[in-house]
Amino acid sequence: MSLLKPFSKLPGLCTANILLVESEEQFQQSLADALVEETAVTVNVRLAKSLPLPMENEESRPRIDLVVFIINLTSELSFQSAEASLKYLDPGYFLGKVCFMVTNARNASVPTERLDAVRKLAASLNCPLLFAEDQTPDGVTNATERLLTILKVAAGLVPMATALYLSNLTRCTVPPDIDQPSFD
Amino acid sequence: MMAEGGQAAAELSEAAQSELMDQCEDQFAQLEKLQNEIILFDFCENPQDQAVNRLMATEAELKQWLTVEPKLLASNSEVLLKAGKEEMLKLCSELEMVVSCHEAKRDKLRETKELEQKWLEEKKQALIAANDHVDRLQMEKGKLPGHSVLHDTKAKIQKMKVYQERLMECLGDILEKHVPCPHQNEPSTNKKKKKNITQELDEDLISLNEILELLMNKVLNTPHDPYVTIDNTFWPPYVELLLRYGIAVRHHENNFKIRLETFC
Repeated sequence: MSLLKPFSKLPGLCTANILLVESEEQFQQSLADALVEETAVTVNVRLAKSLPLPMENEESRPRIDLVVFIINLTSELSFQSAEASLKYLDPGYFLGKVCFMVTNARNASVPTERLDAVRKLAASLNCPLLFAEDQTPDGVTNATERLLTILKVAAGLVPMATALYLSNLTRCTVPPDIDQPSFD
Repeated sequence: MMAEGGQAAAELSEAAQSELMDQCEDQFAQLEKLQNEIILFDFCENPQDQAVNRLMATEAELKQWLTVEPKLLASNSEVLLKAGKEEMLKLCSELEMVVSCHEAKRDKLRETKELEQKWLEEKKQALIAANDHVDRLQMEKGKLPGHSVLHDTKAKIQKMKVYQERLMECLGDILEKHVPCPHQNEPSTNKKKKKNITQELDEDLISLNEILELLMNKVLNTPHDPYVTIDNTFWPPYVELLLRYGIAVRHHENNFKIRLETFC
């Protein structure tokens, strides 16, 4: 078991590296295809089913600037896998270099408790929580743009902005009455 | 900054280019130094509470921002010009995007405004029409004599009452004339024999008028049980008359009970 560390390697010139973690490997690929279209900076996308990452690629793997956990709300397994993977991240990542992306939140069959659990998880780690629509091209484009904005900051490509500063503004907060029974 | 240097270098003079390269190398050397420090430092750091960690990091960053002093990118004016130009162009393109976005928004708002104005106009017209209607109704109400409807109704009721009175009087007259009270006309019409026999039991005979009244009251007061028991106050010929002409009906099981025929 090895921790993934944010500053263990030298950064590349004008490069941003993003790691997409999704246990079901559905949304990953389309998102990756859209992410590498970016022209202003070189975006390297690494895909993983879960953490820890295998040891054999350790040498060739660039420094990861942003880790994105994609959670499909319709599957409990997806959430559990993401939760289990969190252990293999260095605490330094949680200073603005991790974000959660939730898909299928609009699905009617999703139990509200699961969304609440994801929100609590994101809030306890002070990470931003993004919602994405994975079925439509527009949704993929939107998700890509939002990820790129965060990625550029996390990779240090935006002057006068740091990942910690951005995440202090965008981190997920849980409303105090989340444990109250809802009356809808 | 390094990126800008790399791209712009192609068109810069040799002196500027070499200066820029030197700067880049300096920066990169510093970066490597810091990187090594971080790696060394990482080993002795043990994972702490997330929130405390975050607070410390944020405080450190704040301190950093407070102490940092802005410094010139490079002293070479050529480099500055190039970098400034690039920055300006970037800013221009971004501002153009903002302009087009705002124009689109403005057009949309204008459209919405027109729609809303149209809607307002329609609503105003509707209000005017409704006000007209109210005015007209009030005028009509004012024109009419105060309680004309009430008066009309009262007059009609009065007329009906007079008519009913007349009908009742007529009926009374007919009954008095053609079916008089049994013991009034007995002395004049009946024979002496018969009079003697009937005298005792016919003392309190009632008129047809009263029989009818009894029947009618019974029907109105107790509709579920409209039968009236025949006793000795009913003169049998009158009962017979009522039954024969279908004004009254006998009870199916009890011969001594009659009720008024159900006239619709």
